[in-house]
Amino acid sequence: MPVDPNANAGYLLAAYVVTAVILAGYAVMLWRRAKKRGD
Amino acid sequence: MMTDALRARRLTRRGLTITILGLLGLAAVYLLALRYTPTERFQGLPQKIFYIHVPAAWSALLAFSLVGIASILYLWLRDPRLDRFADSTAAVGLVFSLVMLTTGPLWGKPVWGTWWTWDARLTFTLILFFLFLGYRALRGALQDPGERARFSAVLGIFGLVLVPFVHVTVYLFRTLHPQPIVLKPSEPSLPWVMLRTLLLSAGCFTVLLIGFVTTRYGLATQASVQGGEDAG
Repeated sequence: MPVDPNANAGYLLAAYVVTAVILAGYAVMLWRRAKKRGD
Repeated sequence: MMTDALRARRLTRRGLTITILGLLGLAAVYLLALRYTPTERFQGLPQKIFYIHVPAAWSALLAFSLVGIASILYLWLRDPRLDRFADSTAAVGLVFSLVMLTTGPLWGKPVWGTWWTWDARLTFTLILFFLFLGYRALRGALQDPGERARFSAVLGIFGLVLVPFVHVTVYLFRTLHPQPIVLKPSEPSLPWVMLRTLLLSAGCFTVLLIGFVTTRYGLATQASVQGGEDAG
C-alpha cells in the first residue's frame, strides 16, 4: 500500500547526516594527520 | 631518501585533493537524491537511504577485496608497499562499513519494522566488519614488521573469501534483506531516474575510496620514510 510521501523523514535525515559526519570527519582526521606530518 | 619523502608528501596531497572532490560530489548526490529523484510509493522517503547505503556497501566490499588481493600479492612478492596498501585500504573499508552498518538499520526500522535482524546477509556483513577490526587490532599488537605483514595478510585473504559469500547470502538463505537489483545477471530492475542517482553516488563513493586510500597510503609511506611505525 502506498505510504504518506512525507512519513518517516527523520530516518532519511539521520542517515544522510550520519553519512556526512562519518565521511567528512574521516577526511578532516586525515587532513590533520597530514598537517601534523608537515604536509 | 629525500625523493621518497617528497613523493610520499605529494601522494598525500593528491589524496586529499581527490577526497575533497569526492565530498563535493557527495553534496551533489544529496541534492540530486533529495530534490530531483522521485520518492518511491511504497517505502516513502526512507527509500532514498538506498542512494548512500548501497554505494557504501559496494565501496566497503571493494576495499576488503583489494585488501585480500594485495595480501596475496604481498605473500608472493614480499613488497612492503603491498602491505602498506592493504593496511590503508582495510582502514578505509572499515569507514565505509560503518556507513553501511548505520544507514542499514535507519532504513530497516521504518521499512521492516526492526533495526536489526540476525539473518545471513546482515550477520555475515557484521562478521566481515569485525574481521577487519581484528585485522587492524592485530597490526597494532604486533611489533615485528615482517610478522605483522604476514599474519595480517592471512587475515586479509580470509576477508577476501568472505566478500563473495556476503554477496550471495541473499540467494542461499531466506533473508529479510532484498536481493540485488543492480549487481545481478539480468538487467537492473530500477527506473533510469533512480539508477542515475545510484550510479552517480557509486561514482562519488569510489572517488572518496581512492582519495582516502591514497591519503592513508601517502601518510604510511611518509611514516616509513621517516622511520615511524604509525601509518597515520
